[in-house]
This record gives sequence, structure tokens and C-alpha cells, in this order.
Amino acid sequence: MTRLEDEDRANEPNELDRILLFFAEQLGKRRALPKDAALSERARGVVCASGRLSPVERLEIYREQFWLRHTASLVEDFPGLSGILGQGPWQTLIEGYLDAYPPRSFTLRDLGLDLPEYVAAQHWLPEHALCRDMARLELAYLEIFDAPDAVPLDAARLAEIPEEAWQNARIALHPALRLLAVDYPVATLRQQLLLAQTSGEEVPIPAPAPEYLLLYRHDLSMFHQQLSAGAHALLEALTRRVPLVAACEQAQAKIPGEATAIAENIGPWFQSWTARGFITGVEV
Amino acid sequence: MTARARLGVPDLGVGVGLRVPHYGHVLREQPAVDFFEVISENFLVEGGKPRYHLARVLESYRVVPHGVSLGIAGPEPLDREYLKRLKRLLAEVKPPWLSDHFCWSGAGGAHVHDLLPIPYTKQAIERVVERAREVQDFLELRFALENTSSYLSYEASTFSEWAFISEIAERADIGLLLDVNNVYVSAYNHGFDPFEFIEQVPHERVVQIHLAGHTNLGAYIIDTHRGSVIDPVWDLYRRTIELTGSVSTLIEWDDEIPSFDVLMAETEKARAVRDRTLSGAPLEPVPRGVPTQTDASSEHEHGWRQGGPREIADGAAAK
Repeated sequence: MTRLEDEDRANEPNELDRILLFFAEQLGKRRALPKDAALSERARGVVCASGRLSPVERLEIYREQFWLRHTASLVEDFPGLSGILGQGPWQTLIEGYLDAYPPRSFTLRDLGLDLPEYVAAQHWLPEHALCRDMARLELAYLEIFDAPDAVPLDAARLAEIPEEAWQNARIALHPALRLLAVDYPVATLRQQLLLAQTSGEEVPIPAPAPEYLLLYRHDLSMFHQQLSAGAHALLEALTRRVPLVAACEQAQAKIPGEATAIAENIGPWFQSWTARGFITGVEV
Repeated sequence: MTARARLGVPDLGVGVGLRVPHYGHVLREQPAVDFFEVISENFLVEGGKPRYHLARVLESYRVVPHGVSLGIAGPEPLDREYLKRLKRLLAEVKPPWLSDHFCWSGAGGAHVHDLLPIPYTKQAIERVVERAREVQDFLELRFALENTSSYLSYEASTFSEWAFISEIAERADIGLLLDVNNVYVSAYNHGFDPFEFIEQVPHERVVQIHLAGHTNLGAYIIDTHRGSVIDPVWDLYRRTIELTGSVSTLIEWDDEIPSFDVLMAETEKARAVRDRTLSGAPLEPVPRGVPTQTDASSEHEHGWRQGGPREIADGAAAK
């Protein structure tokens, strides 16, 4: 036997792992296992029959649970997206997603982390652009739900900062805050879809209407606020830790139509953002 | 049974598995629960509602974390990052012990969020013994593993489940979390006498007991944690207490979660059974043997989730 053959043998799964790998391989299959005659035969060598079920039927219990558990978790995390799509397309989407991105994290919280990216590539989806925006919105909500806590900046602290220090000041924003630019009014639609879960009312698909959103957590609940393009651009630059004056300049360059408004509103914006706890620190 | 014999772990009384729908009630009403058990993974996050509620509950109650993701028997090594996060949680909760399951949860990098059954082999014993010791040493806390409900058994198994978990507990010097409902479920599914299981495990290593309802589908029972504890499981519990002495007991309810009052009624029932058994009062004889179909239903939509409802955003609050 050559050294390479020795190494190959050492890397081969042992008897225990061969059993576990065989089992694991069956869980993500979409088709009911008892329909597979060859597998039924193979299962007989691994799993015992019970008085009531064959080996493959016993394996099927776990496969069925795999799908029920993960689809239920994604419905819970993406009620807007599943509401837009309805049962059939949603099921197809999720089966494809779990095939492409099998769960790898120890926590179900992370199950949908790649769903927005996957949705973006699924051009067959009805209302594709709307679905893409909704998936991004719902992932952002998941992220802010249990993002770190932080103590808001005391407004009095702002007043103490000398005028000349603002030039290079870097603003720390609350970690439970996300910015989103969307082509559809998805935050409102999501609320309507959630209400419709109990009322049973039909929710019409909205027309495109670009929005800049700020999603945030306040007193443990989650909210959204519509922003102007200029305010969104400024906050976006601040999240990248761009110093304040440079952030204003970047926002003005990005949204030239609001350059004046940005300059005029920056004071009131900061007062409002501070009062609402969005700002947690100023490094001068 | 002395505290020393119980691996230095105290009897906390009768507790309840804390679930999201009851947070408000628990914080507002401060019900007379001896302790709460929480699903560790729900609190391995950085902030928001989960951490807030945990902190508030800790102000008034003893809390014991119970994990569902360790997958101690899986093909891959233990997840170090998970253990580090768990250790940080333990520093905050300061529990007398923590627990997870005799199971594996994935292979080839996948994590299937299930408590998959282990082949009861010598090789599996060696693996779990080594890892259980490692976990207990790393976390610097008494570690216990729980017997799971299972729906299949393996041709390769050479041990009974009770012999398997007993050997691991002894050799790794860990505790046992004896889920009496799981014993019943597995006994039904595999055709063994649940009393034999209960009687054969090392009783001095039982640090906690779980009680729950289940769903009997006729061909098999699934561990849904739905509904009240059934009478045959109460009988098993009685026998367990007779053998172990006073052990912390917990009611779990994860599906179709009722009002907290219903859970309190279950805890009172557990307390009554426990007290009566510990008092030495003569116990009525109970039938032994392989469980038969006592509570079959036609239910088939059983999308249960290990660990119960996750702490996720309440969409209605997203305004």
C-alpha cells in the first residue's frame, strides 16, 4: 500500500460516521424516501424495522421533520415574502434555497441570512423586484431584532463639543439600526400582509414607489421611518465611519438635488436622531 | 439522597421551560415557579428582547440553560465558537448545571436542527465520553446530557439505550437529564419496557427530570411537547422519583402553548406526585411492559421544532 493510499484510508469515515453520513444524506431530499426502492433496500442494512414501520419509513420521519422545521422557521422570519408569493411559489423558492444553502449555523436565527441573495437570482419569481426588496427588508428586521444594545448619546454631550471639532467628528450609530433603499413600499406592505393573516383580507400588490428607509429598534420593538434621499445618504456615509463634514459632502455629491436641503437640515436631523437614540457616540 | 450523591447539584424543585408567549405574564405576575429552564441558543445573541427578558427573569428566578445544538456525537469536532458563546452566557446566568442531548445534529458541515439518534456502539461511547468531558472541563460547570426521543434504531447498535447513556455518564463523570416522556416515546417506538430503562440508569447521576406531552400517531409517537403529561408517563415519573430521590423536575410545553396557568397546574401535579412519592406513602402498582396505543390521534401535521418557538421579531411591532 502506498503512502497516499494510507492517507486516503485514514481520511475515510469510520463505521460510525458512515452511518451518520448516510442518514444525513437523506434528510435534505425533496422526494419522500419510501418512493425510492434502492434506498429502501439500503436502509434495511442500516436501520431496524419496528413492528409498525419499515426502516425507510422510519428515516422518512426525520426527512419530513427537516423540511417542516426549516420551512416553518423561514415563514416565521419572512412573513412578507411568503405572503407575496403564496403557498406554491414560496414552497418552490424555499426548497431551492435550502438545497443551495443547506443550514450550517447552530441557530435557526441564521437560516435566512442568504435568502435575499438567493431571491435576487431567482428571476422566475412573480413580482421579482418586489420580492427582492421584501427579502432585504425582512433580513434587516431580523438583524436589528437582537443586535447589540447600546446607550444613546446624551444630548447635553453634543452641546459640549466645540464647533471646530465637528470637522473630523466620527459619529457612532446604534448597532440596531439599518438603512435600506427599496423600489417598492415594502415596509407598509409587510404590515398589511401581517394584518391580513388574521383578517383574511386580500392585499393588493403595490406599484413601484422608491423609498429610503431607516429601520431601528426602540424599547425592544422595531420600527421603520422614511427618509429623504439626502438624509439616507448622510446616514449611510456615517455608518461607514466617514467624518461628519466629509459625510455631508459625500451625501451632497451623491444627491446633488438635495445639496442645499442637506446643509440646511443637518442640525435638526442631528437633534432628532440624538433624541431618538440613533446616535451613541461622537469621536472628536 | 444527599447533595453529594447528586453530583453536588441542588434540587431546585419543580420548574417550567420558559417560552416566549409567557414572558409578559412571568415578568408581570411573578408566578411561584421554583426555577426556569431556557433554551441556551435563544440567548446566544447580543441584545434586544432575548437578552432583556433573560436579565429580568434572572432578577427573580433561578435559571438553567438547556442546549439543543451541541450535537455531541456528530462526525465533526465540537463547535468551539458555540462553546465560547455558551460560556459567556453561563457567566451571566450562573446556573448550577447546564444540559444538552445525547444526539448528533448534522454532518458534512450542515446543521439540521434536530436531535438525531446515535448508534449505540462502542465507537460512539468513546466519542461522546471524550467530548462530554471536554465540554464539562471547558465550561467549568456540571454538564448533563438528556436521553432523546427517537423514531429509529440502528442495526449497528450493540447496547441498549440505557446501557449506552449509563456508561457514558459514568466514564465522563457527567450528570443525566432524564426525560421521562422521552423514555416512554422511545419505548413505544422501539418496543421496550420503559421501566427497565428507568431502573437501569445510575440514579445518583440524575440531576434533572423532564416531563412533557407528546403526539401519538399510532404507528409511532412524536415528541411534540404538546398537551398534558399522560398517565403512563406520570407512573414512570413516580417510579423515577422513588429511585432517585428528590430531583429538579421540569415541565416542557412547546407546541400549542397554553396559558401559563395550565403549565402551573402541571407543575402542581408534578409536585404532588413527587411529594407523595418522597413521603414514602405506599404506591399503587402500575402496569409494566411495552407501551401500547393509549392516546392515538389522527393528527399528522406535526411540525414541531426542537427548542420551541424562537425569539423572533413580532411583525406587528414593526411600524
